[in-house]
Amino acid sequence: MKKSYISYILLIFVMVFTSACSSSTSSQESEKKKSVKLLFSFASKTLDPHQDWMGVRAGIAETLVKIDENLEIQPWLADSWEQLDSTTWKFHIREGVTFHDGSTLDAEAVKRSFERLIEVNEAMNTNLKIATITANGQDITFQTTEEYPAFLSELIHTNASVIKVDTDKISEKPIGTGPFQVQSFTPESEINLVSYEQYWDGKAKVDEAKVTFNSDGNVRALALQSGEADIVYHLPPETLKPIEESKNLHVESIMSLRAHFLVYNSTNPQLQEENVRKALDLLLDRTTIVNEIMNGHATEATGPFNPMFAFSSDTEVVKSNPLKAEELLKEAGYVKNASGTLEKNGKPLEISVATYQGRPELPLIAQYLQAEAANVGIKINIVTVENIDTFLWEKQEDWDIATYSNLTAPRGDGGFFLNSAYVPDGSLNPGQINVPELTDTILQLNTTSNLEQRVDLEKEAVQLIQEHILHSFVVHPHIIVGVSNRVKNWAPGSEEYYILTNQLEVE
Amino acid sequence: MKTVGKMIGSRLSQLFIMIFVLSFFTFLLMKITPGDPIRSILKVDDVSVTTKKEEQLKKEYGFDEPILKQYGDWIINVAQFDLGESLISKKPVSELILERLPATLALAIGGLTVLFLISIPLGVISSLYENRWPDYISRWIALVGASIPSFWLGLLLMYFFSLKLQWLPMMGRGTFAHFILPSFTLGMAMAPMYISLLRERLITILQSPYIEAAKARGISKRRIVFFHALRGSLIPLVTMFGLSLGSLLGGLSVIEILFSWPGMGELIVQAVTQRDYPLIQGFIIVIGFLIVLTNLLVDLLYMVINPQIQQGKEARV
Repeated sequence: MKKSYISYILLIFVMVFTSACSSSTSSQESEKKKSVKLLFSFASKTLDPHQDWMGVRAGIAETLVKIDENLEIQPWLADSWEQLDSTTWKFHIREGVTFHDGSTLDAEAVKRSFERLIEVNEAMNTNLKIATITANGQDITFQTTEEYPAFLSELIHTNASVIKVDTDKISEKPIGTGPFQVQSFTPESEINLVSYEQYWDGKAKVDEAKVTFNSDGNVRALALQSGEADIVYHLPPETLKPIEESKNLHVESIMSLRAHFLVYNSTNPQLQEENVRKALDLLLDRTTIVNEIMNGHATEATGPFNPMFAFSSDTEVVKSNPLKAEELLKEAGYVKNASGTLEKNGKPLEISVATYQGRPELPLIAQYLQAEAANVGIKINIVTVENIDTFLWEKQEDWDIATYSNLTAPRGDGGFFLNSAYVPDGSLNPGQINVPELTDTILQLNTTSNLEQRVDLEKEAVQLIQEHILHSFVVHPHIIVGVSNRVKNWAPGSEEYYILTNQLEVE
Repeated sequence: MKTVGKMIGSRLSQLFIMIFVLSFFTFLLMKITPGDPIRSILKVDDVSVTTKKEEQLKKEYGFDEPILKQYGDWIINVAQFDLGESLISKKPVSELILERLPATLALAIGGLTVLFLISIPLGVISSLYENRWPDYISRWIALVGASIPSFWLGLLLMYFFSLKLQWLPMMGRGTFAHFILPSFTLGMAMAPMYISLLRERLITILQSPYIEAAKARGISKRRIVFFHALRGSLIPLVTMFGLSLGSLLGGLSVIEILFSWPGMGELIVQAVTQRDYPLIQGFIIVIGFLIVLTNLLVDLLYMVINPQIQQGKEARV
């Protein structure tokens, strides 16, 4: 009896160790090849580049144009282009590019890829506004349904990448033109990639790459320290200490194209008063928020856009000034009542701030604002909701301010955010902002192709937004990436599109 | 044998009624909860979209139609074995679920094996040495286990076994070694309840007259525990297992996400957040089916553990 138990336990141990050993032997074999392991936060359900961002991020597929480290548009699969008239764009497809199956990339292949994209991706269909596509040799011509100067920058979208469409395994093994080709894919778990020998821009400097996913920040940090990953995205600031102290690892912290901001509900009469919004804006000490809430991994915002963009705001960071805030409120007719709360015509200045846990720093910003506002006599009630978008749109009478976060110029142009957040029927405008002067500027931007004129118009819009405090932009959070020192010739970009490149090297 | 056949037949008919009721109420709940998948489909946080477009798409997908009609359309398709396709990824729901189901089942089996390996020895030791130090240790383990949330336990195991000792891989799936940490986390998270239940039940049984009679016949204590008492005390455990299948699946999701285990966890959490109705409904059907099936197996297991259950039924028929 006893014996059989012991042999049973021994058997389990043998099984565990043989399997553990077998995995280490295989990893020893793969060490001969140069390989890199990327750990990302948002898991891919599918590898279809027309549906998921990982196609471009993992170097499998490429787009016609790309955005460089200075956030400017550069040629990629298209080496030149011209706008023939207000709705027609002609691109020349780079010669000598081949798909991973060896077939040549020509305009016809690009056309078929775009036809599939607008068929399977409703959002991109809406976004690209393509009416017709004509292919001729290496030239491809797009006609848009309306005048659409932002068309070029929208082609940067990773979903607009070019893939071979006549294959039935697009979601598991897409055939692209990038430096890496897919060997295997397990949804939401891992992608195994090998370098593509005939890559048009020179074979990748690593032989193989592995992409894994984990949505838990603590696990990602542990994986970097244990050597299970060489590049780890989106590390929580509280996990950085052991990484920064390690001799073999380092942290990259780069300003993102995202902004954390306050949305004002303009249907609330109190918030319709500009002085009230300005006073609330003056209560935010952005430097304190950067240091205390963001642990230094953010940059104070001066407007909606990353300061690297030509169209971003030129102004200085607004310094917190509670005294001036009090003055503005007094000017607007607010006086303190017996309980110390500001009121006007018998109505106290009591504000409901909606926030959500999806980005843990946002509830902290709401709490910070609550404390600062209490000092000047504004009462803030915080409401934490699960689905912020649904709440803001469907319960518009239940909130006055919301903490929010969004990419503001994901493809190097401000058009997307300005149209979505400030035009009355924009899908990111739950606060019902309707400033005719600003709407006119944005509508003018929508029909302006000249790049310099676009920058001027975007700047004009930003100035109006900042002048009237239509939103209070707080910080641009940083992208925090943990990197092993064996990774060379690599740095994360603000755009987070081009992660595995042919230039990346490992020791 | 007749009874078994009858039971299976009645259970299967119950299954269809249950799935019908379950899917209807989930459908109703989903529809009356605020939010819809339109904003996710249109990726409004990424590309420029107007509210008019949102309304237009809502109509195209038929989300503005009466709930009963929407449910009717869906259930008719289900009756033809068509679970529809995911609104977000456009892949067939059955394919999305089936490609992940084996990993989830494998982890569930792994977790249950660990549960069995932990709870039975500790429960037995506790009852044999009631209120003595082995019992205290076992109860202490149960108490600590019950107080640690599974995600934290998982992180601790990763910290020691993957980062410090470098014995086991931290996440993913591939070798048997990948299987150990998530199985342990799952098994250890479930074990405390079973240890306590088994201990209480064994203590009661060990004091019952038939055990006293066995002792009087001179049968060894070990033999009494393993061959008489343990068998009787397994019934409440099996019952509890049948009842706690739902929470087991909840726990599985957390562990799968933590260990990047390619099961259904991440898929279903995202489906709920994005309100991917067909995927949530498909998941409910598959899980409902699995729970009914497992409960059926549990009932069959009762008969194996204690044949009196079957005899009792026959006597009444």
